[in-house]
Amino acid sequence: MFGDLFTLLGMSFFQRALIGGCLVSVICAAIGLFVVLRKESMIGDSAAHISFGGIAVGLLLGVQPMIMATVFSVAAILGMDFMKKRGIAQSDSAMAIFMAMGFSVGLIAIGLSNGFSISIMDYLFGSILTISGSDLAVISVLGIAVLSAIFILLKEFIAMTFDSISSKMNGIPTELLSVLFNVMMAVTVVLTIKVVGIILVLALMVVPSLAALQLKTSFRKTLLAAVMFGAFSTFTGIIVSGMVDLPAAGVIVFTDVAILLLLVAYKHLGKEPGNAVPPIKETKTFRT
Amino acid sequence: MTSAESETVLEVRGLRAVRGGAVVIENGCFRIAKGEYAGIVGPNGGGKTTLLQTILGYHPRTEGEIFLFGQPADRFKDWQRIAYTPQDAIHFDEQFPLTVRELVSLGRVRRSNLLRRLNGKDWEKVDETMELMGVSEISERRIGQLSGGQKQRAFVAKALALDPELLILDEPTSGLDASGQESFYKVLGNINKERGTTIVVVSHDLAAVFCRMTQVICVNKYIHQTGDLNVAERLLRGAYGNHFRFVMHGDCECCCVPEDV
Ligand SMILES: Nc1ncnc2c1ncn2[C@@H]1O[C@H](COP(=O)(O)OP(=O)(O)O)[C@@H](O)[C@H]1O
Ligand SMILES: [Mg+2]
Repeated sequence: MFGDLFTLLGMSFFQRALIGGCLVSVICAAIGLFVVLRKESMIGDSAAHISFGGIAVGLLLGVQPMIMATVFSVAAILGMDFMKKRGIAQSDSAMAIFMAMGFSVGLIAIGLSNGFSISIMDYLFGSILTISGSDLAVISVLGIAVLSAIFILLKEFIAMTFDSISSKMNGIPTELLSVLFNVMMAVTVVLTIKVVGIILVLALMVVPSLAALQLKTSFRKTLLAAVMFGAFSTFTGIIVSGMVDLPAAGVIVFTDVAILLLLVAYKHLGKEPGNAVPPIKETKTFRT
Repeated sequence: MTSAESETVLEVRGLRAVRGGAVVIENGCFRIAKGEYAGIVGPNGGGKTTLLQTILGYHPRTEGEIFLFGQPADRFKDWQRIAYTPQDAIHFDEQFPLTVRELVSLGRVRRSNLLRRLNGKDWEKVDETMELMGVSEISERRIGQLSGGQKQRAFVAKALALDPELLILDEPTSGLDASGQESFYKVLGNINKERGTTIVVVSHDLAAVFCRMTQVICVNKYIHQTGDLNVAERLLRGAYGNHFRFVMHGDCECCCVPEDV
């Protein structure tokens, strides 16, 4: 069995999967912590579903599906934000509108082409083991851009997430940074689709952060823990799936959830009750 | 412009604010000079929070003028000179992973250090402000685990971290016991004296307001202001209703009792 592992580790597709998968997980967990704290998890999920429309249209028109997905995802996240701010629709209604649009456009595109149902499955459930060199290049460039932005603007993002009113009073361009964050989230969603597929994007985004939040420590340590949990789960998931031929996405997310549940169980065995996993389904309107 | 006028930090003239169709502030006027320690008092629902939100531009004003540091509020750009802690500041998400020191350091995050890390001077100021507000010992505690009074102090430390010229606090002592309130207002008084920070604080602690503060602003739809304690009782009756008597005894105590007691 371990002989198999060494053979696998020597293969370039497997190396690409490990590098790409771990990089995406790191970004996804970092963005995810802010998403959880802003109580905007469902926005990430909507963006993933809307990307489905982009991917289908991309396949139909022969445009690189990930590029089309990015266009859809960015447009939808900015559109939802606009509708919320202008009071055109409440946050959850705006998400429903865009999700309905994205998914229906996707289904129509599939119907029109009646031929690419196999490749669409890769996007629904992830296909990290089939990641190509050019995929890895896109993931690396966009991933490093998102990571650097988080690193450079960390204190501003923390300040805005915690209290956007004071941040604005201190002269931080909260509106601009909010748009930038949303674009970063949209890009991250699309990159994550490659790893675990549309359906499990939300899990990869929020579960490592929910686990890290159980540690009840400072912001920077929480962020570091989230990133490490994310990368560890993806690494484990890809290795296991390579060795025993299980779907990588399933093993990755299962590992993430297992870490979370272990931490929750540990805390509730040893300490006082009442510190439940924070709710993630609410969405809250933030002033920017 | 005389020098007295140029030192006006906050001025409101003929202000009207409407909330949910009802007029909450009507023809409100008051003025706060530099270095003042002003208390805003008035019954619940009297419009104190609305007044502050209107001054800071988070609630639209229907009529009237607001001046911040002598400039009309719509044209005012220098918001860094003002720090504001809203009434619900301490009702944050308790899961939010921040230590007290991290919270206070967020007060130093501003336009001029965008894209840069906080430097040694920033952290020095953070530590100094924590010391001032008496939260140094709990600097590594998570803010979600603090008591009400500790939270309030930590939030004021955050507000003070940038050395604002005007500090506005909305009911910062709700949830504190009497001795907690007393020491809280004392610390604010020291900041006011030592740093010259102008402070405007909404409070239900009439004793603290009358003993420590230099201006009393009563808000109950209408706004009345006085720097003279002898006039204050009349204003309070206006705000809380005529069936209350304000009993001042000793130097530093005041309570309000229904008149037929
Ligand atoms: N969000 C709101 N929507 C509608 N009415 C409000 C809102 N907030 C406060 N009010 C009303 O405005 C009035 C003033 O409230 P507020 O400024 O909070 O008073 P205070 O801070 O003095 O207790 C009250 O009558 C209250 O019912
Ligand atoms: Mg109030």
